[in-house]
Amino acid sequence: MSEYTKIKPDLDFVKGVMDAGGDTVNRCYQCATCSIVCPLSTEDSPFPRKEMLWAQWGLASKVSGDVDVWLCHQCGDCSAYCPRDAKPGDVLGAIRANAIKYYAEPKSLANLLSTSKGIISTVIASMVVVLFVALIWSFVTGESWPIPKGTVEYHKFLSVIPIDIIYLSLAGFVAWVSYKGVTRFWEDISKGAGLGESYTGTAPRPALGPLFKEYVVPAVKEILAHERFKKCGAAAERAQGHLWTLWAFIILFIVTNLAMFYADILGNLFPNSGFHSPLALYNPIKILGNIGAVMLIAGIWMLKSMREQKTEEGIFKSSAQDWNLIWLIFAVGVTGLAAEIFRLIGIRIIAYPTYWLHLGCVATLFLALPFTKFAHLLYRTTAYVFQRYAADVKAGEAGFGMELPGEPEEEH
Amino acid sequence: MSKNIGLYIYTGDGIKDAVDVDKLVELATGELNVKVAKAVDDLYSESAASMIESDIESEELNAVILAGYSPRYEFDYMDFPGVYLDKVGLRELVAWSHQIDPEAEDAEAQKEHIQELAEDYIRMYVTKMEKVEMPEPFKLEQINNRLLVIGGGVAGMRAALDAAEAGYEVVIVEKEAELGGNAKYWRKQIPVGPDYSSLASPVVDDLIAQVEASDKITVKTSTEVARTAGEPGEFRISLKPAGTKSEWDAPVPLTEEEKLDENGKELSAEDQKKKYEEKNEGRKDYMEVDPDAEMFGAVVLASGWKPYEPAEDEFPHLAWGNPNVVTNFAFEKMAKEGRITRPSDGKEVKTVAFVMSPGGKDDDADFPYASAVTSMVALKQAKMLREDQPEDGRAYIFYQHMRTVGQYEYFYKGLQNDPGIFLTKGAVTEVTDDGAGNLTVNVEDTILGENISVDVDLVVLATGMVPTTKDDPVINFAYRQGPAFRDLDLFGGYCDSNFICFPYETRRTGVYAAGGVRRSLTIEESMEDGSGAALKAIQCLQAVSEGHAVHPRTWDYDYPDFYFQRCTQCKRCTEECPFGALDDDEKGTPKPNPTRCRRCGTCMGACPERIIGFKDYNIDVVGSMIKSIEVPDDDEDKLRMIIFACENDAYPALDMAARKGHTWSPLPRIIPVRCLGSVNVAWIKDAMSSGMDGALLLGCKYGDDYQCHFVKGSELANRRMENVAETLNSLGMEPERVKLAQIAIDEYDKVPEIINEFVEEVVGMGPNPFKGW
Repeated sequence: MSEYTKIKPDLDFVKGVMDAGGDTVNRCYQCATCSIVCPLSTEDSPFPRKEMLWAQWGLASKVSGDVDVWLCHQCGDCSAYCPRDAKPGDVLGAIRANAIKYYAEPKSLANLLSTSKGIISTVIASMVVVLFVALIWSFVTGESWPIPKGTVEYHKFLSVIPIDIIYLSLAGFVAWVSYKGVTRFWEDISKGAGLGESYTGTAPRPALGPLFKEYVVPAVKEILAHERFKKCGAAAERAQGHLWTLWAFIILFIVTNLAMFYADILGNLFPNSGFHSPLALYNPIKILGNIGAVMLIAGIWMLKSMREQKTEEGIFKSSAQDWNLIWLIFAVGVTGLAAEIFRLIGIRIIAYPTYWLHLGCVATLFLALPFTKFAHLLYRTTAYVFQRYAADVKAGEAGFGMELPGEPEEEH
Repeated sequence: MSKNIGLYIYTGDGIKDAVDVDKLVELATGELNVKVAKAVDDLYSESAASMIESDIESEELNAVILAGYSPRYEFDYMDFPGVYLDKVGLRELVAWSHQIDPEAEDAEAQKEHIQELAEDYIRMYVTKMEKVEMPEPFKLEQINNRLLVIGGGVAGMRAALDAAEAGYEVVIVEKEAELGGNAKYWRKQIPVGPDYSSLASPVVDDLIAQVEASDKITVKTSTEVARTAGEPGEFRISLKPAGTKSEWDAPVPLTEEEKLDENGKELSAEDQKKKYEEKNEGRKDYMEVDPDAEMFGAVVLASGWKPYEPAEDEFPHLAWGNPNVVTNFAFEKMAKEGRITRPSDGKEVKTVAFVMSPGGKDDDADFPYASAVTSMVALKQAKMLREDQPEDGRAYIFYQHMRTVGQYEYFYKGLQNDPGIFLTKGAVTEVTDDGAGNLTVNVEDTILGENISVDVDLVVLATGMVPTTKDDPVINFAYRQGPAFRDLDLFGGYCDSNFICFPYETRRTGVYAAGGVRRSLTIEESMEDGSGAALKAIQCLQAVSEGHAVHPRTWDYDYPDFYFQRCTQCKRCTEECPFGALDDDEKGTPKPNPTRCRRCGTCMGACPERIIGFKDYNIDVVGSMIKSIEVPDDDEDKLRMIIFACENDAYPALDMAARKGHTWSPLPRIIPVRCLGSVNVAWIKDAMSSGMDGALLLGCKYGDDYQCHFVKGSELANRRMENVAETLNSLGMEPERVKLAQIAIDEYDKVPEIINEFVEEVVGMGPNPFKGW
């Protein structure tokens, strides 16, 4: 007797893919040209042919268990060569967009942040919160609210303590949502890759030490160098803008932490010793911060231009989510730099509202991490890690007793 | 009639380099007594035509031979009324197909061979000219121009409307109580034009309205044909109420098995007659004339198709017999009536599996009589389900062959975009019922790379369209050869006789098939078919009124003539005529029906008494051509063979071979024949007795995939070869001296091989022992 796999196509899944920009998915007739031309497709598990079929047939669990979806950087080569104009690149993009929504909890936030209206509302809401906290804080400092008097110094509006209260709690929430999403993703792709289950019934995963040493570090190294993205035929130019943006974020992350240590900790420990913010323009931290800000604006502008061009050329489609993220990052960079410039020029009336807007944008971007396209940072990184790990498990080299039974080695 | 012959020999295209044309002229005017013989450089020109015309006038020529291009070339200006015109292809048969190598040692001998070849052709055609008579057209006393359309479906109605529009009176007979055929059960039609994405509204009601509004069309519903007698131009057709018996029902001849007794021995003629009469008790003899029969000129047979209904125990693995497993026809009817529901409990149907191929893993064949139409219907029905259930309807189509022909590919592409339609190639291995009417379909070798199983509410078997002629003669000929079309098994019951070359033609002249009875067609295609068949029927009436043949020999005004005094009633001609043109009387003497005849000459080839012939193509004409060939008595290098080449496929292949530069032995002489079926054994005897050394019959392919224009000719000729072999044996000659070869029209490259091999074989056997007697 042959084995039969029970199939029940999930129509909502197919429609979801079609609505999210993969409306061409059903045109695919499985010639596999896409898998051949894809510069990133692997020999063991070629994509995106199989993903096209699974999506057509509404096999949601197959698609969600498929790590390969995240190994695609959407260069558009597959779509360019597709003889039936099924645009596999766009379909994978749609699948990723839907996967992010699927792993994000609560869904209401994901839905909210999936539209530009929702993003603007979130920015405004964040600004209201900031303004409210600033009002309370003004009672502590005695500064006038909402626009403090004297030289423009933003800590008069909101100093590091209330900022930390707002943003660290936001970061905590985002980290928790991201952790939940990534672990669920890990479960699904482990199942999809046939890695089996550990004795606790969960997907196998390496201990933290080996996880970082063996898998995360090499994966991150690869990401930092954009090795795969650069291989991406038609999108190679896009990699440049993306690389700048990524590095800008890294720089700004470091600067933020340094600034926190410098101003919050040293500044509080040794008041009146010059550690307080704003930092002087010649301060290396400030210099680095300004470099980061310029890189961010330049990088995201490059991404925007390339995306416009590629979309126009029909190499891939761009959805509202794609543009939302670009504009949000752009807004963060521009408001930050503008706030600094207005501060230096000393126009209070414009400087404080700009800073206020900046804080709203930053909060929204924070929040966007697990809920919007920004989440590719989480899932693609996880996919890179998982790909290495799964290969080791399959080869019996992952340790931790998770080796799959294999052929005994031949005696020589 | 004594002939004043004019012979015009073309010198161009290498002819004058290959042969000594002056010698040919000398031969003609001297030995052959031709009145005018000329070598002409620009024979195929209007000036040459006017020169011939003035010769005809001044020399009183009544026969002209153009020796140059193959007879397959036609020139409007070479038209000389009242003069018998014939052509011999010196260019192809002599100059092009026999290249002399001037460097060769035997160049002189080669030249001699080719000169003799050309001279023989001149002899043969001059001799033919002396023998032929001018054909005179056959005219019926009175021609009936009414058309009968059998079947009031979309094809029949379209045929009737087009014929009416062309000015013809039409009668439609429809077995059912109303017009419309199967199409009246359709909810929607397959799309008919760009962008092929949405289903079309049924056209049938509009057609019915048009038919009913036409004052040239008479509709007789609940009516059938009891018998069709007569011939094109004067068919006598007896009609009767559908489903009833009539004394005018066409009698059915005994089958081959019925002609045998219990021991397998053939019954005596008397016993056979008795058995035949028992079988047809209550029916009038086929030759008897029904005084109440209606007269028609030609018939369009558009009786359509029946849905294939699997037998009770057929397809057990597909759960056939389960109420929720239905045919596509039943599904369509259900859809037309309203909601698509599950027969077992009336539950609304949301998921359907369309099964296109029943053979499981062992056999990828589709259902019997399935076709591209079946594929299209499955797609259409999937779309209908989705239109009913746009939210969560799922249609699975499991196929081994998805055939969407031509523009219909767009329909397929459009359907692929529907997220609720799932298409995969695969072998459906099992359909099971959980006891509550829920079906599970197991499919192997799918595009998903694994064996899958789906739960559905309904399984639809994409069964095929069975032509009505498969089990029922429908038209009921009162012909000597029986009421049905012959050899229907060859075509699975379809009554088309030559699908590629002559669409709509059946094995019965004057009867043209359209729609589902001809092949599986969509409604749109059926209607196009109806138009085509109507035009063919009108063409037939035109041919009958002008007195020439219908396809393929439309230029032919001649018809076979019988010398009945010498007929032995052997019935070979009546049996073998591919078109059933010959009836017979009580004694078995043939009764020709000239307008049924297509002039292939199969009767002439069959007749052992040689009493059948045409004015310009008969035993004597061809026999004399053969005898006119010079056969050297004592030169072993100059053996002579005759080739009878079918003018439909073999002869064009020879022409093409010559044009493409293929060459062959100069020993054989080639005579074009209308069909190998017309080759009478007498001609072979003539050849052998005049000292020739072998005979080759070059005909078209026969058998299942025959290409014969006259359906059976080369097959019959092959059967007759046994008699030839016997005759040769009795003369003490090798039977291998006579051979039959099949060639398709495009196999010109095989021509040299076939001819040269045959020549070598004959040379190997040595000269005809009777040479010189």
